[in-house]
Amino acid sequence: MSDSTSQYAHPEALVSTDWLAAHLNEPNTRIVESNEDVLLYDTGHIPGAVHIDWRQDLQDALVRDYISPEAFAELCSKNGIGPDTTVIFYGDKSNWWSCYALWAFRLFGHTKVKILDGGRDKWVKEDKSLTKEKPKYPATNYPVPAKRLDKEIRAFYEDALAQSQEKKPLIDVRSPGEFKGEVTHMPEYPQEGVLRGGHIPGAKSVPWKTAAKEDATFKSADELRKIYTEGCNLHPGEDIVAYCRIGERSSHTWFVLTYLLGYEKVRNYDGSWTEWGNKVRAPIERSN
Amino acid sequence: MSSGSHEPTEDSPESHYPGKLASIIHLFETLPEEEKRENLIAYSEQAKKHEPKEGETFDLEDVRKDEECTDTVGVFLRLDAEKRAHFRITLGPQVQTLTKAMTSILCKGLDGLQIPEILELPADFVPKIVGGHLVRIRSQTVYYILTRIKSACKVLLNRQRAAEA
Repeated sequence: MSDSTSQYAHPEALVSTDWLAAHLNEPNTRIVESNEDVLLYDTGHIPGAVHIDWRQDLQDALVRDYISPEAFAELCSKNGIGPDTTVIFYGDKSNWWSCYALWAFRLFGHTKVKILDGGRDKWVKEDKSLTKEKPKYPATNYPVPAKRLDKEIRAFYEDALAQSQEKKPLIDVRSPGEFKGEVTHMPEYPQEGVLRGGHIPGAKSVPWKTAAKEDATFKSADELRKIYTEGCNLHPGEDIVAYCRIGERSSHTWFVLTYLLGYEKVRNYDGSWTEWGNKVRAPIERSN
Repeated sequence: MSSGSHEPTEDSPESHYPGKLASIIHLFETLPEEEKRENLIAYSEQAKKHEPKEGETFDLEDVRKDEECTDTVGVFLRLDAEKRAHFRITLGPQVQTLTKAMTSILCKGLDGLQIPEILELPADFVPKIVGGHLVRIRSQTVYYILTRIKSACKVLLNRQRAAEA
């Protein structure tokens, strides 16, 4: 662990690319790749890594919601993940989707989770090994979680509305243009079906990228404190809700606040702008 | 890359698409999911082969980075003596794997068609190739290359009409 990493509230939640390269066969550990690019895993992945797809594996096919505890147990079992397995997530897009998958694992109470700092891009840039061979692990018998922790780390529309009305911290992690209401799509992406632009009244704009370096690794604890604690006046015990468009960029910020800064009551509003920006009578604010 | 065991017949839905593209659509529709993914990967790995070759000249070159696309895409269109279209395409490194695959498929499937045939082509073949569950939010750029190809065709057609007027 480097000096800068040890300053995080939970430095154990990160592994470096060098560490992972030297510990590919660590016992009771599973490496999981989660990407936005649906075929990227198939083009080559970290040896031993399994693929968990944010849409097909983690979301319900018919209801806009996550899978059931039963389906989560099945997903883990088939990937050789037991309740005590340490799961190391990594992926493309600066780890958006790996943070999303990690957050989803936490929803089901799986606590032994880590992120590969820098994600897939850093691993590839360092020319570390990739393989197309898909590993097979003996199935486990993952116990069905008693419940999903929806109240603890997830916010719904009503929660975000209450947060806004009570003037509690709401962090909008989208790009400045989306926050201001100038555009209804993400930069570099097509429109994703949002009727109106703007932000939830009272939300502060802190784009997810503020927390990341150019190589997709996380900024130091000092830098993060300057951004969130001093810059946004957020305090560790406060109720904080983060949102974006569909909950993946805000998972990145959720990870930063929860694991790197140690804030205890952070929730991810996964309905995010694709719900709020379309919802009848949901108030919105625009700014210049 | 697999080769299809059956070619589209006169009555099959694929027969509404131009020949080479119809064969590709038919192949993908008959493949099980795992093989479909393998073939998409194989097509994506061939995308570089469809970049312009040294010394080639084109009737239209359209290289740009659109606000709603993740990286720069260049479309290079050449018409031969019989006014049949041939495409070369360049992709920036951030382009998704599915988009790379569709680039190869379109360069191959649309090769030699007349411009009006390309402009009339409906986009409904995309999910037939890719499979419904891979065409979803955050993979919509799979349609982007077809849009850019059609856009290049329109520009060239308009230029030709203006020159003839």
